[in-house]
Amino acid sequence: MSTVTSIAALLLFPSGLFLLLSGLAYEWADRKLLAQFQNRVGPRWFQPLADVVKLLAKEEVAPDGVNGRLFVALPIIALAGALTAALYVPLFGLAPAFSFPGDLIVTLYLLSMLTLCMGIAGANTLDRFSLVGATRALTQLFSYEAPFLLALLGPALVAESWQISEIAAYANGRYLLLTQPIGFLVAIIGLMGKLELPPFDAPEAETEIVAGALTEYSGRGLALFRLGKGVEMVVGLTLVAAFYLGGVANPFAFLLKTLVLLLVMVVMQALMTRLRIDQTVGMWWRYGALLVLAQWLITILFHAISQVHLMG
Amino acid sequence: MKFGSMLKDISQALVQQPATEQYPSVRRPVPERLRGRLVWNPATCTGCGLCATDCPAKAIELLVLDKKAKRFVMTYHIDRCTFCAQCVQSCRQGCLNMAANHWELAAFDRDDFLLRWQSAPESG
Amino acid sequence: MQTDTQRERFTIPIGPQHPALKEPGHFRFSVDGEIVTGATVRLGYAHRGLEKLAEKQNWVQNIYLFERVCGICSHTHATAYCLGVERLAGVIAPPRAQAIRTLVCELERIHSHLLWLGVSAHEAGFDTLFMYSWRDRETVMDLLEALTGNRVNYSVNVLGGVKVDVTEEIAQAIYKGLDFLEERTHHYLQVVSSDASFLQRARGVGVMTRQQAEVMGVVGPTARASGVTRDIRIEAPYAAYADFPPQVIVDERGDLEARFVVRLKELLESYRLVREILARLPEGELTVRMPRRIKSGETVSRVEAPRGELFYFLKSNGTDTPVRVHARTPTICNMTSVVRLAVGHQLADVPLILAGIDPCFSCNDR
Ligand code: SF4
Ligand code: SF4
Repeated sequence: MSTVTSIAALLLFPSGLFLLLSGLAYEWADRKLLAQFQNRVGPRWFQPLADVVKLLAKEEVAPDGVNGRLFVALPIIALAGALTAALYVPLFGLAPAFSFPGDLIVTLYLLSMLTLCMGIAGANTLDRFSLVGATRALTQLFSYEAPFLLALLGPALVAESWQISEIAAYANGRYLLLTQPIGFLVAIIGLMGKLELPPFDAPEAETEIVAGALTEYSGRGLALFRLGKGVEMVVGLTLVAAFYLGGVANPFAFLLKTLVLLLVMVVMQALMTRLRIDQTVGMWWRYGALLVLAQWLITILFHAISQVHLMG
Repeated sequence: MKFGSMLKDISQALVQQPATEQYPSVRRPVPERLRGRLVWNPATCTGCGLCATDCPAKAIELLVLDKKAKRFVMTYHIDRCTFCAQCVQSCRQGCLNMAANHWELAAFDRDDFLLRWQSAPESG
Repeated sequence: MQTDTQRERFTIPIGPQHPALKEPGHFRFSVDGEIVTGATVRLGYAHRGLEKLAEKQNWVQNIYLFERVCGICSHTHATAYCLGVERLAGVIAPPRAQAIRTLVCELERIHSHLLWLGVSAHEAGFDTLFMYSWRDRETVMDLLEALTGNRVNYSVNVLGGVKVDVTEEIAQAIYKGLDFLEERTHHYLQVVSSDASFLQRARGVGVMTRQQAEVMGVVGPTARASGVTRDIRIEAPYAAYADFPPQVIVDERGDLEARFVVRLKELLESYRLVREILARLPEGELTVRMPRRIKSGETVSRVEAPRGELFYFLKSNGTDTPVRVHARTPTICNMTSVVRLAVGHQLADVPLILAGIDPCFSCNDR
């Protein structure tokens, strides 16, 4: 019985197929909102799905000079990483499918897998745009990864647990956004960096390096990478909403809060000019990391003080 | 130096209709002077052929059957025309005009791009 | 053109087909990490043999041929050509025609600069500015359509005058459109000179000193953004510019921000000029009679296109077809500066530096 439900959880709901589709839906919401902000019409609701279906139907061309096996395997690994990460996250207001102490760290690393795979995919080809894109993607990964991690560990600190379900339970009803505003800011900007959304889209800046690391990908590989991005978006939004916005205990709260987060992200996308890669790195290490450390310090101090109070 | 200097624009856009024109379903009124396809009024045509000489795209062919009886055949290739209106300017008799309403000229068949007019032969 | 001994380095080819280029051109940037260490350019992909074709067509047909050298500054090309032919024939177009030519020139400059603003914002990765500036550009496109009958190739010029007249109704529409555009332009000027996220891509990037600008012979707004006062509309007024002199906008800074500021301020200047022309439009005929055969001789015709000085050479042997027509467009003058300025910058800055000169490859290749 439990095997059947596990398999269902893996393949259909909440992970698997349903997650893939909601990833596409969030991608659509992102594009449509951005279009509205820019006074455009934007894509129709099925456009991301249609894109993926089209890509899946197309031939996948492996260019000369690549490691063929790696070329095929990387998109699959990337998508698998993102989907596995989803298993530990309270998606759609449901309890995570799996949970163990310390799963927060595992989830975050699983989420990075996509970027890592894209980096390797770019480096795997001989294409110069891909190589530059891969370098940029990995550089960016190393710059936002630490601050993003620290920002998500802020709630973990106060919840005194490294297990997502426990942190979510602790954060439920508590708007940590108010007590840890800097952490929230870093988390949401980090998420944008992770998803390579403007202004952090230097790794795929089309006016410079065409499509960055994925320039040589077509057909199925590209579709899988895009699906992976969608999934990562949902998982990332869920994590930030669950930790900072008072929890996502039911599907309605989930939808509302993730969409509000998405809206904030779209506003930032609309207002900013693309950062150069050196500016991105500089920003994260000079401000992002320091700010989030300051946030930590404050949190720990407060925590210690309240502990002392409790004892005294 | 400040952040988000276009905040006003994007917040206004949230309640605005998109600026994109929904062309086939919604059509804007055609400007009066729009240069659509050519129309030829043979009544005053003298068959001087200046329109054909000056046409930069060789879109006009004029066949003079009988200059006295004013029998001309005018062939107009819509697909070659660049809609420059030089022929309208060149014609001293004012026989040529560009129809503002005929501007959706795409067609499935090449033959639809060929217009052939004949001046009404005078009786006999 | 080459600014580096290109040994076996990591080179990034850009073009002829590349998302940063709206037209075909080929660049090779050798990079060291993200820093550009050398650049070469190859042009000519959009060569259509227009100058040769002109020798086979009569003077009238050629107006429309040269109008099609460039899609953006089509009227400027036709004006340069017509003014040259009129000078050869010893004919002067009536004042009202000259004023209307000038009017359309300025309206075209408005549309060209707004287009450039959008393209450059897009190259910098600021798509919101791109979308808004192009939305507002529709205003001037509609005005041009109402005035001339077409959005792009206006075909206003004929030898010896113009085809279209300005009616009161159209004048009112232009006034109204300009009021809206003026307000928007002030807003954009404020955005490009104050938005922190935009300025970190534009301020101090791609600096061309005045001396460099003079040595490389750059023209137009690109030169004026480096403090070089160079404008044909003032130096050698043509059409009605002697009666309606514009003010030259210069900026000493020479960086990308200065180029944005100069072009946006030129927009404001164009609005003023258009209003002035409409208010003091001379009365009279639109055309004078032109001979079909042009007296033999040769002449040079210079006008200020939105991108800089446009130069036409015309030679006639007394027949109804030209012997030689040569057009030299502003882009070729400015292209050296791209190759020079790109070196030492980040790869990410290159598209913006290229866009900074407002390149028009098809103009350049003819
Ligand atoms: S509009 Fe121009 S191209 Fe068309 S037929 Fe007349 S002269 Fe020829
Ligand atoms: S220029 Fe006018 S009069 Fe002469 S042939 Fe053409 S239409 Fe007829």
